[in-house]
Amino acid sequence: MRTVDAVGRGIEDPVLKLRFLRTSLKNYRRRDEVIGRVPWPSLRRFLYQWFTVGGLQRLLRNPLAVSLPVRGRARRSLRLAQGALVLTAASVAATAGGLTLFAMRLFRAEEAPVMAADAAPAPPAAAVVPVAAGTTEPEPGGPPETLGQRPAGIWQVEKGDGWELYSNGLRIETGYAVLGDKRRYRVFDQDVLSPETFDRPVGILFHTSESDVWPLEPGFNENLRGSTHRLLRYLAREKTYHYLIDRFGRVYRVVEDEAKANHAGHSVWQDEGRVYLNLNHAFLGVSFETRWEGGRALPITEAQFGSGKNLTAWLRQRWDIAPSMCVAHGLTSVNPRRHLIGHHLDWARGFPFASFGLPDAYSRPAPSVALFGFGYDSDFLKVLGEPWSGVFHAERALESEAARLGRSADDLRRDKRALYDRWLQEQARVDDSPRVPTLGG
Amino acid sequence: MDERKDHLWKVAEEAEQRIDELMERGTAVGTLGVDVGTSKVVAARPKGKSVETASQLNAFMVVPWSRVTEKTLSQNEIAYYREGDELVIFGTDTDRFANMFNAEARRPMANGVLNPREKAAMGVLETILQAIVPKARAQGDILAFSVPAALPGREAELTYHEGTLRRYFEGMGYKAVAVNEGLAIIFSELEDENFSGIGISCGGGMCNGTVAFLSIPTIMFSIAKGGDFIDQSAGAVLNEHSTRVKIMKEEGLDLGRAPKDKFERALHIYYEDLVESLAEALRGALSRAEKLPRSDRALPIVISGGTAKPRGFRELFERALKSRSYPIEFAGVRMAADPLTATARGALVAAMYEK
Repeated sequence: MRTVDAVGRGIEDPVLKLRFLRTSLKNYRRRDEVIGRVPWPSLRRFLYQWFTVGGLQRLLRNPLAVSLPVRGRARRSLRLAQGALVLTAASVAATAGGLTLFAMRLFRAEEAPVMAADAAPAPPAAAVVPVAAGTTEPEPGGPPETLGQRPAGIWQVEKGDGWELYSNGLRIETGYAVLGDKRRYRVFDQDVLSPETFDRPVGILFHTSESDVWPLEPGFNENLRGSTHRLLRYLAREKTYHYLIDRFGRVYRVVEDEAKANHAGHSVWQDEGRVYLNLNHAFLGVSFETRWEGGRALPITEAQFGSGKNLTAWLRQRWDIAPSMCVAHGLTSVNPRRHLIGHHLDWARGFPFASFGLPDAYSRPAPSVALFGFGYDSDFLKVLGEPWSGVFHAERALESEAARLGRSADDLRRDKRALYDRWLQEQARVDDSPRVPTLGG
Repeated sequence: MDERKDHLWKVAEEAEQRIDELMERGTAVGTLGVDVGTSKVVAARPKGKSVETASQLNAFMVVPWSRVTEKTLSQNEIAYYREGDELVIFGTDTDRFANMFNAEARRPMANGVLNPREKAAMGVLETILQAIVPKARAQGDILAFSVPAALPGREAELTYHEGTLRRYFEGMGYKAVAVNEGLAIIFSELEDENFSGIGISCGGGMCNGTVAFLSIPTIMFSIAKGGDFIDQSAGAVLNEHSTRVKIMKEEGLDLGRAPKDKFERALHIYYEDLVESLAEALRGALSRAEKLPRSDRALPIVISGGTAKPRGFRELFERALKSRSYPIEFAGVRMAADPLTATARGALVAAMYEK
């Protein structure tokens, strides 16, 4: 109970915390009935502790628990509890080894997932992801990525009516795909708007679909299927996102890669001296069917996780996309009128970059802050608690720059915001990027 | 058009006001928490990054129909409907109207449940609810509504009340879930304590308390005294309508200061009576409990509800607690962040949990 309490205190989202507590206690009661029949008190105590701590550790090891924020202190207390248990186990095993093994087998079969809405689905069909060397280091406790043989590259193996199959196991459903508007954009290269117009995607933005998230249970099958298809019809009509990954891990193409999709709105990213404003044209939009709730995305499923990795690998190979250009929408979205970051916050926290073989975009200095002096307001803090670390890095860089120039940070920020406004207007003159909404709407 | 519109906010060319329009039309509502209290009904729903609430007074009054009266109500934008030869004024305007005409406002609910003495109770309550609860937008939208703990010997009334409201909300297309009032306060206010502690709602009809440990309610108790008891008792001794007493009470009563007139004296007396009854009910419930929560930590107490709003209420309750002994340790008494909406907010957490 103490461990449940300690871990529960580390979960910041009230609904996830409630789910965690309720499910843990339900499991506890179920086991309580059975363990209570064990005649030896010391063995009973050991079994209680083992199943509580063991179950929690499994939850924390799960790479999909990215949406279950557990503070470091809670993790430490869990590790300590498990360490103590190892010692206890040694002595208990000596006296009741056979019975313990029997009991462990019995109860492990009963382990239920801690998140009610996150019942473990079948593992993804293929979890092998060939990407650039040195980027596929598996996370501790992640899926068995090193098992099985990797193909030499990713290519289209077969194509049928409404689907495409790729060599890494990726299957793309194409029945909903629509032609979008032509992709064409310019970038600010070394602070100058390039005269050249580009038509190839150079990055990937990860989104959440903000649609219904039904429990992954057979009883909700109709809802699960129905809400995905309604969502897809809507997305196709509005040409929103290039891809949607549903809760069963199916990848749907919504807008052809060669066209732009409406997914990024006002947004900023920078890489290799190039600044990209409003990323609809330059970036591909990949959306996971889940929802941002209580300051984070609800957990994606294992199937979505596997398919997301395979799709990212394929898109990166096809369009030669640099890892540093794969980023979450929430890290790029801005409110241009108020010069605030985090206008949309999907995946502003918790995207498993490392598991996708990508660098951690959260720790990268936020371009909207460093280049354009954007800030954040109390609403932003209410949702996130604190900005991602890249915002702090960017703020420090901005303050250093101001000190170097002998100016106040606020003064410098004002200039940078004015620069953003100018660049936005400049870009709007040459393409169809959204303009800054006026106060009158 | 059965597609979800929530992700419209993600369309690139969206404007902020478009999102607000969607919210205003209720299209972004997938979960809703509703506090169905004797005195007020409050609804809470997620709005963007925060929670928005709306409330209506759970009261009505009936005046004879005449063309002039109806025109007056209409011109003053007072919520009403016509029922035969009568006009039923309902919701937030009722108190103002009742005070203006020196009449008594009536309530569709009494003691936390549907008022058995008001024939039109459910009809009026439905009309009031309609003002703040939109129809479900999609199958599976969840609505959690608050219910009190049953008063001893009156469990059947609670069953009827809960069943009637459940049917009504289901008729609006929701999957309806009942949540105990005290537990809702725990969900809303004791998140940092892992939903362990005591939540007490001091409403119009009654006071409700729940002791929960790690979100699991273990003890519930209630007393049939609330704001209405204070208003009616003080009204009776002062020979004033309770509606008028209520308005005076809400105009800045301070229970920490000596009463300055006979109105305040009467209110102090009945507030002390209510608080003593509440502290005694908590002691009785804890003493009778077969299993008390085992916790290393002292349990915090959170009080909420319109009746707990006057300045000095918390201190008064603390004094009443200290004059008794309890089998568990308390970690102080605190007021909910927003006592008027805490139950609805907690019900919203319950609805989101069910989603």
